[in-house]
Amino acid sequence: MELAWYALLGLFFAGYLVLGGYDYGVGLLLARGADPARRRAALNAVGPFFLGNEVWLVAAVGILFGAFPLLEGELLAGSYPAVLGALAGVILVTAGVQLRSRPASRWARAGWDRAITVGSLLAALGWGTVLAGLLQGVPLHADGHVAGVAHLFTPFAAATALAVVALVAAHGAAFLALRLPATEGDRLRPLARRLIVVAIIAVAAAAAVGLLSDRVRGAAQRPAVGVLLGVSLVAALLLARAALGRRRHGVAFAATAAALALPVVLVGATLWPYVLVSTVDPAASLTVADAAASAPTLRLLGWLALPLLPALLGFQAMCWWIFRGRTDSRAPVYW
Amino acid sequence: MDTLLLARLQFAATASVHFLFVAVTLGLVTLLVGLQTAWVVTGNPRWERLTRFWGQLYVINYVLGIATGIVMEFQFGLNWSGLSRYVGNVFGAPLAIETLVAFFLESTFLGMWIFGWHRLRRGVHLALLYGVALTAYASAFWIMVANSWLQNPVGYEVRDGVAHLTDFSALLTNPALGMALGHVVSAALLTGGLLMAGISAWHLLRRTPDHDLFRTSLRIGVVTATLAISLVQGFGFAQFGPVLSVQPTKFGGTSPEAEALIAEWSARFGPGDYLPPTLANVGLGFMILIGLGLGLLWLLLPLLWRDWIIRLRFPLWLLMLAVPLPFVALILGWISREVGRQPWVAYGLLPVDQAVSPISGWLMAVSLIGFTLLLGTLAVTNWVLLARHAARGTADPALGRPPAQPAADDSRPEPAFA
Ligand code: HDD
Ligand code: HEM
Ligand code: HEM
Repeated sequence: MELAWYALLGLFFAGYLVLGGYDYGVGLLLARGADPARRRAALNAVGPFFLGNEVWLVAAVGILFGAFPLLEGELLAGSYPAVLGALAGVILVTAGVQLRSRPASRWARAGWDRAITVGSLLAALGWGTVLAGLLQGVPLHADGHVAGVAHLFTPFAAATALAVVALVAAHGAAFLALRLPATEGDRLRPLARRLIVVAIIAVAAAAAVGLLSDRVRGAAQRPAVGVLLGVSLVAALLLARAALGRRRHGVAFAATAAALALPVVLVGATLWPYVLVSTVDPAASLTVADAAASAPTLRLLGWLALPLLPALLGFQAMCWWIFRGRTDSRAPVYW
Repeated sequence: MDTLLLARLQFAATASVHFLFVAVTLGLVTLLVGLQTAWVVTGNPRWERLTRFWGQLYVINYVLGIATGIVMEFQFGLNWSGLSRYVGNVFGAPLAIETLVAFFLESTFLGMWIFGWHRLRRGVHLALLYGVALTAYASAFWIMVANSWLQNPVGYEVRDGVAHLTDFSALLTNPALGMALGHVVSAALLTGGLLMAGISAWHLLRRTPDHDLFRTSLRIGVVTATLAISLVQGFGFAQFGPVLSVQPTKFGGTSPEAEALIAEWSARFGPGDYLPPTLANVGLGFMILIGLGLGLLWLLLPLLWRDWIIRLRFPLWLLMLAVPLPFVALILGWISREVGRQPWVAYGLLPVDQAVSPISGWLMAVSLIGFTLLLGTLAVTNWVLLARHAARGTADPALGRPPAQPAADDSRPEPAFA
C-alpha cells in the first residue's frame, strides 16, 4: 500500500516536472527578446494546457500531505529556502501567464513577460535544489526534525539546480518546435538542439559533482541504479537531439519529457527504501513505510483514488486530444 | 523573532487574500452557469455577450485564487510541520481528497473552457463550465471539512502521541461543519451577486452603451444577493448553537462548560491562558451588523418592477457603495472563527506552539515579508485589472473572441497565426 502511494506521488511530481517543465521552458525562452507577437504566440501554444499542467504540483502536494504527512512536514520545512524560491517562481509564472495579455500596453506586457522568465528560472532552480537535497541526505536528528537549512548549500545542489534549468529550457524548445506552426517550429530546431547539448553537459557536470561528493555516495542506497538511471537520462537527451535532426518532433518531445521525469525516478529508486536519509544519525533515517500515513488513512484514500485516477488522467488526455496538433490561425488566443 | 507569531501572521494574511478571491470565484461561477445555460438553451447572442463579459472578470479573478491557494497549500508543510506530524493522518485526508477531486479537475476544465470557445460544441463547452462549478463547490466542501476538523477534532484516536483516523464519516457529520458550510457558500453567493449588481449599476449610472445587457445583469445580481443575504443570516445565526456546544471558550464570556473545559485542559496540558483574545468578538459584531444591514436589500427588490431601481438612480448608488461590505464581513467572520480557536490549532488536541515548524525566526520573517509583498502586489494589480475590464464594458472581451476577428487591443496581428 505504501509503495503504491509512493509510486503515485512520484507519478504526480514527475508529471508536474514534465508538464510544468515545458511551461517554464517556454517562459525561459521568452527572454530571447523576440518580438512581442512571437512571445505571445509561444504562450498561446501552451495555452489550453497551462492550467492543467500546473495543477499536477497541487495534486502532488495533496498526496504528499494525505499519504505521507511526516515527509511533507520534514521535506518542505527542511528545504525551506529552496521551496520558498520554487513557490515564488510558480506564483510568478501562474500570475504572469494568465495576466500578461490583460493590460493592452506593450510596456506592461513586456514587464509581465520578464516576470514569467524570472519565475520560470526560480521554479527550475528551486525544484532542482529540492531533488538534490534529497539525494545528498539531510541532517535529520533523532527528534525527527531536520535541523537548519545550511545543508542545502552545496556544490552538488547548485549543479543539479542548474542542470534542471538547462533541462527545462531544452524541453520548452522541443515543445515549441512540436507545437508552433511548421515554419516557426523549424526556426526553433537549431536552438533546441543547442539547448539539448547544454543540458547534456549540465547533467554530466551535476553527475560528476555528485559522484565526487561523500554525502551523495553515503546517502545512495542503490548507487548502481542511480548511475544506470543517470545514463538513461543522457541517452534520452541524445535521442531527442537526433530526433530533432530528423524532424521527428514528437519523438524529440517525448525524449525530453522522459529526461524531466527520470530525475524523480532516480531519486526515488536510489534512496529506496528510504525517503529521507539522515547524514547525522543513520538510525534517524526515514523509510517510505515510516513516512506514510497510517493504514486506515491510506485505505480510505485508496478507495477514492481507484475510480478517480482514470477520470483525472482521462480528462487531461481529453484536453490534449482536443487541442492537439500545431497551432494555426484557428487557434484561440487568450494568454 | 517569534517564529510562531510570524507563522500565524503569514497564515492569516495569505488566507485572507485567498478568501477574498475565492469567494468571488464561487459566487460568479454560479451566476455564469446560469448565463451560459441561458445562451445554450435560447441561442440568444445577448446571453453569450453576458457570459463573455462576466466570464472575463471571473477568469481574471481566478488567477489570484490559484496563486494564493498554492501558497496556502505549501504553508502547512513549510510553517506548520507539527500539524502534519501529529494530526496529518486525519487532517491530511480531506485536503488530499480536495486536491484530487476538486482542484485537479477544476483547473483542467477551466483551461478547456477558456480555450474551447468556437472550438467545442456548445453543449460540451457548457458541460465544462458545469464541471468547473461543481468542482469549485466540491473544493469548498472538502476545505470546510478540513477546517471544521481543526475547530472540532472528531473520528480519531491518539496512539503514541499521534492522531490516527478511526471514523471518517464523523468528519463529514462534524457539528462544526454543516451550518458553517452553508454560511460560507451563501456568503460567496452574496459577494458575487452584489459584485454583479454593483458593476452593472455603475454602467447604468454612467449611461454607457449596453444599457439592456447591464439591466439584465443588475436584476440577476440584485435577486441573487437578496436571496443570499437571507441564507447568510439564517446559517449565521444557526451557527451559534453548534459552535458554542463544541467550542465553549469561543465567544468570550464564562460559562460553566468553558470553565470545566479549561480546568480539564490545565490538568492535561499544564496551566495556561486558554481563552482566545477578545479581538475576535469585536469582528464578529461588525460582521453581524453588516449582515443585518445588507438585509435591507429586500427593500430594493420591489423596485425591480418597471425598472424603478434604475429610474430612481439612488438605489444604483447604494448598490455600488455596498460592494465592499461583504468582503469586509468575510474577513471578519474568518478572523472570528480562526482566532476564536486559539491557542489551539486543533481544538483541545494540538496547541499552536507544538504545530509550528522549528524554523529560525529570520527565515520565517523573510517568508512572511516576501509572500505578503508578492501576493499583496499581485492582489492589487489584479483588482486594478478587474476594475479596468469591468469599466471597459461588454463590447469586446478577449475571452471567447472569435479567432478570425483581429483583436481590438493588439496593434499587430500574430505572425504565428497569420
Ligand atoms: C458576506 C459575508 C458574511 C456576512 C454578511 C455574515 N457572515 Fe458570518 N461569517 C462569514 C461571512 C459572513 C464567513 C467568512 O464566511 C464565516 C467565517 C467562517 C465561517 O464559517 O463563515 C463567518 C463566520 C460566522 C460565525 C463564526 C462561526 C465560528 O466561529 O465557528 C458566526 C457565529 C456568524 N458568522 C454569524 C453571522 C451572522 C449572525 C450574520 C448576520 C446576520 C453573519 N454571520 C453575516
Ligand atoms: C478552510 C480552511 C482553513 C484552514 C484549514 C485553516 C487553517 C489554519 C491554520 C492551520 C492556522 C495556523 C494555526 C493557528 O494560528 O491557529 C490558521 C490561522 C489563521 N487563519 Fe485559518 N484556515 C482556513 C481558512 C481561513 C480563512 C479563509 C481565513 C480568512 C481570513 C483564515 C484566517 C486565519 C487567521 C486570521 C489565522 C490566525 C489566527 C491566529 O493565529 O490567531 N483561515 N488557519
Ligand atoms: C487552508 C486552507 C486552504 C488551502 C490549503 C487552499 C488551497 C487552494 C489551492 C492550492 C488552490 C488552487 C487550486 C488550483 O490550482 O486550481 C485553491 C483554490 C480555491 N480555493 Fe482554496 N484553499 C484553502 C481555503 C479555502 C477556503 C476556505 C475556500 C472556500 C470555502 C476555498 C475555496 C477555493 C476555491 C473555490 C478555489 C478555486 C477557485 C480559485 O482558484 O479561485 N479555499 N485553494
